[in-house]
Amino acid sequence: MKKTILAILILSAGLTACKKDSDSPEDNFDSLKTTVLADFTNIVALPTYQQLNNKAIYFNTTIQSLNNNATEANLTAAKEAWKDMRSTWEQSEGFLFGPVEDNDYDPHMDTWPTDYVQMDSLMNSANPLTLTYIQALTLSLRGYHPLEYILFGNHGSRTAASITERQKTYMLSLTTDLQQTCEALYQSWSAAPVNYANQIINAGNGSTIYSTKKDAYLAIVGAMVAICEEVGEGKMKEPFDAMDPNLVESPYSGNSIADFKNNIIGLQNVYLSRMGNTTGKGISNLVASKNISLDNQIKNQIQTAINSFDNISMFYEDAIIHQRPLCQQTMTALGTLKNTLENQLLPFIIQYIND
Amino acid sequence: MKKTLILCLISGFVLALTQCNKASFFSEDGFDERLAGGMATVFDETSKAFTHPVTGLTDRQKTVHELGDAAFEQTFVAAPAPVNSGLGPVFNNVSCISCHHNDGKGTPTAGQTTSSLLVRLGIPGMDAWGGNLPVPGFGSQLQDLAILGKQPEATVNISYTEQTITYPDGSSASLRIPSYTFTNPYQPLPANLLTSPRMAPPVFGVGLLQNIPEATVLSFADENDANGDGISGRPNFVYNPQTGRTELGRFGLKANVSTLAIQVASAFNHDMGITNYIVPVESCAGQSQADNLQDDPELPDSILNYVTFYVETLAVPARRNVTDPDVKAGGTLFKQINCSGCHKPVIQTGADLSISALNNQRIQPFTDLLLHDMGEGLADGRPDFRATGREWRTAPLWGIGLFQKTNGTPFYLHDGRARTIEEAILWHGGEAENSRNEFMHLPVADRNRLIKFIQSL
Repeated sequence: MKKTILAILILSAGLTACKKDSDSPEDNFDSLKTTVLADFTNIVALPTYQQLNNKAIYFNTTIQSLNNNATEANLTAAKEAWKDMRSTWEQSEGFLFGPVEDNDYDPHMDTWPTDYVQMDSLMNSANPLTLTYIQALTLSLRGYHPLEYILFGNHGSRTAASITERQKTYMLSLTTDLQQTCEALYQSWSAAPVNYANQIINAGNGSTIYSTKKDAYLAIVGAMVAICEEVGEGKMKEPFDAMDPNLVESPYSGNSIADFKNNIIGLQNVYLSRMGNTTGKGISNLVASKNISLDNQIKNQIQTAINSFDNISMFYEDAIIHQRPLCQQTMTALGTLKNTLENQLLPFIIQYIND
Repeated sequence: MKKTLILCLISGFVLALTQCNKASFFSEDGFDERLAGGMATVFDETSKAFTHPVTGLTDRQKTVHELGDAAFEQTFVAAPAPVNSGLGPVFNNVSCISCHHNDGKGTPTAGQTTSSLLVRLGIPGMDAWGGNLPVPGFGSQLQDLAILGKQPEATVNISYTEQTITYPDGSSASLRIPSYTFTNPYQPLPANLLTSPRMAPPVFGVGLLQNIPEATVLSFADENDANGDGISGRPNFVYNPQTGRTELGRFGLKANVSTLAIQVASAFNHDMGITNYIVPVESCAGQSQADNLQDDPELPDSILNYVTFYVETLAVPARRNVTDPDVKAGGTLFKQINCSGCHKPVIQTGADLSISALNNQRIQPFTDLLLHDMGEGLADGRPDFRATGREWRTAPLWGIGLFQKTNGTPFYLHDGRARTIEEAILWHGGEAENSRNEFMHLPVADRNRLIKFIQSL
């Protein structure tokens, strides 16, 4: 028996030795580990934040047009710009770690719920609505949701003529503030002193934040798990369990389901290293090189979760009352995905990425 | 007769052997050092390391934990509102998570909704329960934010000057000496004002700390320094408004709160202006800025209970690199220079029949939960129940090596003045002065080993 084991060990050692050449799968895996971090940064993270900033600049111009000329067409353009910017922002939440949380850029843009009492108080006051003044306000009076409330009204009922002068001035400052936050977020990834992009690309090779590649991978995969949990067990589940439409985020624009779906598309972008038509080497490639069935399982579960949102055919605040099985189906799909990421992908990272 | 005798002899023998094998704790080397929270340990080294529930919760407990998690992250808004109503009129922040970043510490700034530092107030004297005397018109905490139409109680200004510390070997470090001033008060502040700046501490592992038997904490106390090691830890005893009794203080930076429920209820009330069933009166009641709305308590009882359960059941992150030779050597140095005199490496929790992960766990909190004189450099001059103006509760060190991950930029000590673990050590004075001096006399390689050990916690 012992001899058999010894023989197997010697044979294995011999086989391993034979495999050692420059194109061995291990060497490929090693270089892939570096490429995936670079592609996540250069194909997904940086372009997403850059796109977000560009959309913020455009959104501000639509508010300027609305301010100059309060037509329904200009209001519609502003609403579309809000939704368009929102889609990129929600996709960026597929990798909600680093400066976006360390520097509190997230709550600066996306604090919810709306503070009606203080917003009314602000609109009824004579307080200046300058950028400086706005930037000293509490966060529930800044960012996407006050803008959403003014632009859309309840379920999109707002008309251009009903928006007051003060509301327009407020929105001009709010969109400038929003754009400045997006720019700061993009700069924190792309430029000194933080240059978070370099911190990830150089993980395990001089990065002061990620002393190992494994650390960087754990952060990326941890954020994938976290967004599954945030959508499936937070944003969707809380109003669903309470059957309380008041708890639904983005209720004025009816954009909640699009928000949720974009969160998971953001996760998919990270896993596949994909942004629009550009694709690089993603975590998917790493997994496929060792365990093709796990890679297929993850890809299928992501797509199933994304597709399941399309089954919900009404505003989420109505769906939690009238389409409960469909809401539950999506939450279940997200739970399944989270389970796989947590119990199979994370252990995969820990097993195979040791440097 | 003979048989009976033999049986008796055998029984006696067995009994004797049983006595010899009386149950005792396993030897220290039989434990996995990574399990900082015992069964309540989680293996996560990322920015989310402090945010996980303990294992072994029942389905109902998991649900309560999740509801508490959601409430912990919720932003509160001015009353009346359909959801999360009751912010202010004056407050320090809008949500729990705003101060306790990723359930950890945060940033030592004040007056913004991204700040994690607040200032406790007082005037000389004691209230009827031995606690701090509140400042007329301001109470016991400075709320430096207000809803529109109200005025923040004052603006807190923080500035630092650098001071160079030189080691015996000639190398040096720089410490930030903070200065706090208060401007734009909504009414004049008294001349005899006492202040205590405090940064939000991490909230994980507190269920385990709550479950350390009182007798264990008291056994660490050595008020008169009978053992002559220069350390004279003593317990704080504080008033519990729920029971109406004086109890052992465990939480708060001066061990000024006895239970998690009161800690959470006080934070809702004093930090966010949200009244609740434990602290039902607005922090500014009786002052000119009171809202006089008849809506107290503003927080549903269930939410307060959920959030309390949430922090009670947050797991402790596992230690890292425990087999690294430098980390092991650093651990030995930690004991040799008696950091462990206050930062107790190992404690056994007591019984908890409802949450198995908190029940009878061998934990590594690196605190004794006692008050220690930390010297003039760290003194705030504001007593808090039995704590003097120079005393602070030993801060638990578990998770400290992950502060950079959870916070981006790490900050240490009660007001975040220290930027590195080395700076934090160098600030230690009073009862910790001997250990600080011994640290300074270590060769630089050993100092680095000690710091590496602390970073593994």
